[in-house]
Amino acid sequence: MERAQILHIEGLSRRFGGLTAVSDLSFEIYEKEILGLIGPNGAGKSTTFNLITGVYRPHTGKLTFAGTDITGKKPAEIGRMGLVRTFQHGSILSELTVYDNILTGAYMFVRDAGARDRRVRETAELVGVSEMLGDLARNLPHGHQRLLSIGIAFASRPRLLCLDEPLTGLNGSEIGHALAVIQRIRDGFGTTVLLVDHNMHAVMRACERIVVLNFGRKLAEGTPDEVSRNPEVIQAYLGGGIT
Amino acid sequence: MHEIWGVAGLVAIALGLSLMLSDSYALKVVTWLSLNVLAAIALRFVMLVGELNIATAAFWGVGAYTAAIATVWLKLPFGVALVAGIVAPALLAVAFGFVTLRTKGPYFMLISFAFTEVLRLVYTQSDALGGNSGMIGVYPPRWLDGTYASLVVLLVGACLVGFLWLERSAFGKLMRAIENNDAVVASVGVPVLAIKIAALTIAAAAAGLGGGLFAHANRVISPGDFSFLVSVYALAYVKIGGEKHILGAVLGATFLTLLGQYVLSFGQYEHIYFGGAIVAAMLIFPEGMLGLLQRWGARLGLVRAPEPATSRGGH
Repeated sequence: MERAQILHIEGLSRRFGGLTAVSDLSFEIYEKEILGLIGPNGAGKSTTFNLITGVYRPHTGKLTFAGTDITGKKPAEIGRMGLVRTFQHGSILSELTVYDNILTGAYMFVRDAGARDRRVRETAELVGVSEMLGDLARNLPHGHQRLLSIGIAFASRPRLLCLDEPLTGLNGSEIGHALAVIQRIRDGFGTTVLLVDHNMHAVMRACERIVVLNFGRKLAEGTPDEVSRNPEVIQAYLGGGIT
Repeated sequence: MHEIWGVAGLVAIALGLSLMLSDSYALKVVTWLSLNVLAAIALRFVMLVGELNIATAAFWGVGAYTAAIATVWLKLPFGVALVAGIVAPALLAVAFGFVTLRTKGPYFMLISFAFTEVLRLVYTQSDALGGNSGMIGVYPPRWLDGTYASLVVLLVGACLVGFLWLERSAFGKLMRAIENNDAVVASVGVPVLAIKIAALTIAAAAAGLGGGLFAHANRVISPGDFSFLVSVYALAYVKIGGEKHILGAVLGATFLTLLGQYVLSFGQYEHIYFGGAIVAAMLIFPEGMLGLLQRWGARLGLVRAPEPATSRGGH
């Protein structure tokens, strides 16, 4: 079955000094899928993320989002087009209340004050922070801060939601909850999700398709099953000797 | 909303009290005090996006010179002069902010400092503006004899209520979000630079109003009135009063202005006592006078205890 592409990445490269962080990378994200991006430390996951969301400019390559060329556009422009991300560290507004955090995410997309309030409450409910709307974000437990960062991004109701290591530091039940939230966002709103994380087991569980990076290049691509049986992937993760 | 009406009520009370005063020295103190409040809240407004705007003094000066030119040279009505003194620094702020607010870290503060001093030097070198001796004869209209201080209280009060309303609006929350983490704010599509420029422009307009009122209160202006020290004093008002709430700036400006009047009697040692008071205040109540009041109130069970100080670096 051929599905519509929402993001098309073609020949993307980025160097930092002598180091090539991402090299000639091409892959597609299809509408309404949950795509996992994995790879060992230093494989170029974060750089790829920053290239897609306009934080870095690619040295070569082209990014097409929903049919529009977004290569070289600024993060805010890309965000307004419906491609929104979370950040690995400190992705919340720690000095603001939970309510105002989510409000920030909705600001550019809902002009009417009443509708904005409904958007904030609906989003808080969805990610599971509606009990603590009046609390300062920095006083939330770590797990809720992670959910809140998804809430800020999703308050914009993006077409493509990019989550940069949203599961770091979460315990087993919190990971289950976060994955359920991601699932609900996709199933309930038809949002496409790009998920980057170190937790292999969780990524395998949540994603329909996975792209594996190593040394800034695409190593493999396929279903979780295919990827986890790919000898090159096993070698990249576990080192040589095991096949 | 209650909070905004409460502050509006305080402004009304202050206005009523100022109308009852007739002693000319007292009226002068009320005028200086109100203008110091305006400088403090204009400075604080830009602090909401996380920038220390030393150019508050520069915009104050541009407002003063523009209003003075309108009154002295062009013989325009007082109201027109004040509006000109608001518009000119606001336009300047759009251009200045467009160039300088792209920087991160302390650079905006340093550039705004340099900008302030450059403008001051331009005034001293400009024969048309009276050079070092400045401009004289900036008289307010006759019909304001005896009520000029009350007009200042009214206009500063309006700015106070306006700033508080803006701070509590969705726009104000966005400003604080930018101060907190601008990358997150940009990621959800918010044009961060435009918001910062808007904040700077609004603050510059208020500072320009302050400059125009200052010029007509003083009748004489000279370049020395618009050095970076205007902003440093405003910062002291904000810090000592407590920066968490706009009323902290009012409290700080009131306390330090009255203290300033008192220490005048110490003659040449004035600045030593003044500086000493600032250092002592920061050591004894780092969250400002407002934080101190809140702590006392909490002990009596009247209000909630203040949140513990944050770990993020301040100015």
